[in-house]
Amino acid sequence: MSADRTPLLKVRDLTVTFGHHRHAISAVAGISFDIFEGETLGLVGESGCGKSTTGKALMRIVEPSGGTIELRGVEMTRLSGRALRNARTHMQMIFQDPISSLNPRRRVKDIVAEPLDCWKKTPGSERDALVSDLLSKVGIDPAVYGNRYARQFSGGQCQRISIARSLAMRPQLLICDEMVSALDVSVQAQILNLLEDLKAEYGLTLLFIAHDLAVVKNVSDRVAVMYLGKICEIGPADTLYDEPAHPYTEFLLGAALEADPDSPMHSQVLEGEPPSPMNPPSGCRFRTRCPNATDRCAEEVPLPQEVAPGHQVACHYPLTLTRRARLAE
Amino acid sequence: MSDELLVVKDLTTTFTTNSGPLTAVGGVSFTLGQNETLGIVGESGSGKTVLSRTIMGLQPRRNVTVTGSAIINGFEVVGASEKAKRQIWGTEVAMVFQDPMTSLNPVMRIGQQIDESLRVRLGMDRASAKARSIELLELVGIPSPVERYNSYPGHLSGGMRQRVVIATALACSPKLLMADEPTTGLDVTIQAQILNLLDELKDRLKMSVILVTHDLGVVATRTSRIVVMYAGRIVEIGDTRDVFYHHRMPYTRALLESSPKVSNHSHTRLQTIPGRPPNLMKLADGCSFAPRCAYATDQCHNVRPTLQAADETGHYFACWNPLPSNRGVRAP
Repeated sequence: MSADRTPLLKVRDLTVTFGHHRHAISAVAGISFDIFEGETLGLVGESGCGKSTTGKALMRIVEPSGGTIELRGVEMTRLSGRALRNARTHMQMIFQDPISSLNPRRRVKDIVAEPLDCWKKTPGSERDALVSDLLSKVGIDPAVYGNRYARQFSGGQCQRISIARSLAMRPQLLICDEMVSALDVSVQAQILNLLEDLKAEYGLTLLFIAHDLAVVKNVSDRVAVMYLGKICEIGPADTLYDEPAHPYTEFLLGAALEADPDSPMHSQVLEGEPPSPMNPPSGCRFRTRCPNATDRCAEEVPLPQEVAPGHQVACHYPLTLTRRARLAE
Repeated sequence: MSDELLVVKDLTTTFTTNSGPLTAVGGVSFTLGQNETLGIVGESGSGKTVLSRTIMGLQPRRNVTVTGSAIINGFEVVGASEKAKRQIWGTEVAMVFQDPMTSLNPVMRIGQQIDESLRVRLGMDRASAKARSIELLELVGIPSPVERYNSYPGHLSGGMRQRVVIATALACSPKLLMADEPTTGLDVTIQAQILNLLDELKDRLKMSVILVTHDLGVVATRTSRIVVMYAGRIVEIGDTRDVFYHHRMPYTRALLESSPKVSNHSHTRLQTIPGRPPNLMKLADGCSFAPRCAYATDQCHNVRPTLQAADETGHYFACWNPLPSNRGVRAP
């Protein structure tokens, strides 16, 4: 857990709806969470659960339809124009596909310098020194590679350049959306270690969005699990993985493949597929696939409840409580 | 050797490119028994996909040279004509590709895509082909197969599409099923469903399966033997447990240690392999992994190591300075 518990980012009842009326899809259906200063919050879930939309809504790349986003007390959803652009410099985002997120026809040092040119108006020599420093921080030799074009780099190197660019503004919050999914394991490990180093050096706070449970656990202090637009469980990484309280989290962990022939095979596999967000189930959204579901789950939307300090779960029958009850008998 | 379904010997695939020859697969040899599952693992560019396509005989018609041999159930694939290969595609060997969307025709009903091979290859009439297709859809776990028979691929989710692709591959009861990254791009819970399905079908239909993947987690519990590839060559091959626990090649260890694990504590520092995979156009004479290897010596840089036996169980590795054998000591 992070040392001081001041929330850097406060998200309350965030909703994002695409389309109108009958065709409306609520991709994010009212989620609330805090990100504390200096911590890494992991956000996991399967495709279509709204994790990327959440990340984009925080940056207001997609417009939230409701709720509030407060970054250090500044209400992001009410800003517009120059004020919004200014506020956005405190948050930066790194995207999944490293190659398409860089302009192939621009030189590396210009890509990294662009935020500085837009916002800081740093004088030439200082600007060049800053860019060189950023590039060497991410492991790219500015003297050799600074003048090359983005298209001349591999995926892993492009992701390093993206990191350098996002750090140019000295952001408080870095949103990483599936930033290592497209990379090979050996390169992925390099980038994850680099991210940890830079986080310590720059005092960054991270929102790390990914579908890979192992990757998320390795970088996160706390983890939030999303299903069909809702957060079903949030808690400290180690606790959540060791003692999942939501049945969905347990299934998700059971399905994760460990690179170990002796790892226990989970006989229980989650059947079926997530329902369409166009027509989500009433009550608890997971109830259609949940083995423990009852009538109550169809009628009442489960609200987040605390099962352990800092560990919240949105389930009427959280696993730890039933387990504890079973032990007490 | 009659129980070997597939015998690959010294298989080499060289592409002719504008900047010279590129050896994507260099001198690969291994065998696969009946009803066995073999995993082929490697990073991108290691040649695992080209290897599996070469075994199928699916290389491009031009600008490619294949030497060596790949014998599937007595049929030599290398050098065989397209017409001859058509006799084994479907009935002897079939393939499941990575992207289920691009391996299905988006404007053709899924039932007809399964029918096609049944009617062309097995000469079935329309009615019995349809009946068999519905049976196959049921076999791969598609709910309400009769209605789904008339669906288009676009109506199905990624996991369902991959099930249809598997049904198409199984249509003519192949003895060998090659699955090239069958679950990459699918969600974990769907991935578990598809891998369980492949496992179950393998036992039920008495097939052999080759599972090609970059994900060590996929092969760990699903295969009996593993081939580890690097820069187009096999660097280690052996029983799954031997490769995971008693590996001798430093690359295998580096690959295992650099993958994050769910059982790690949060903020575990990962081991990394310095540098990047080599450029296949500019391969040195020595071991391809030498520039990134902590144990490399002059010999490694100059002379290419050949596969040598680690023990009598069919565990081989290609390394001049192998890791010490830890037999008897159970690695963590």
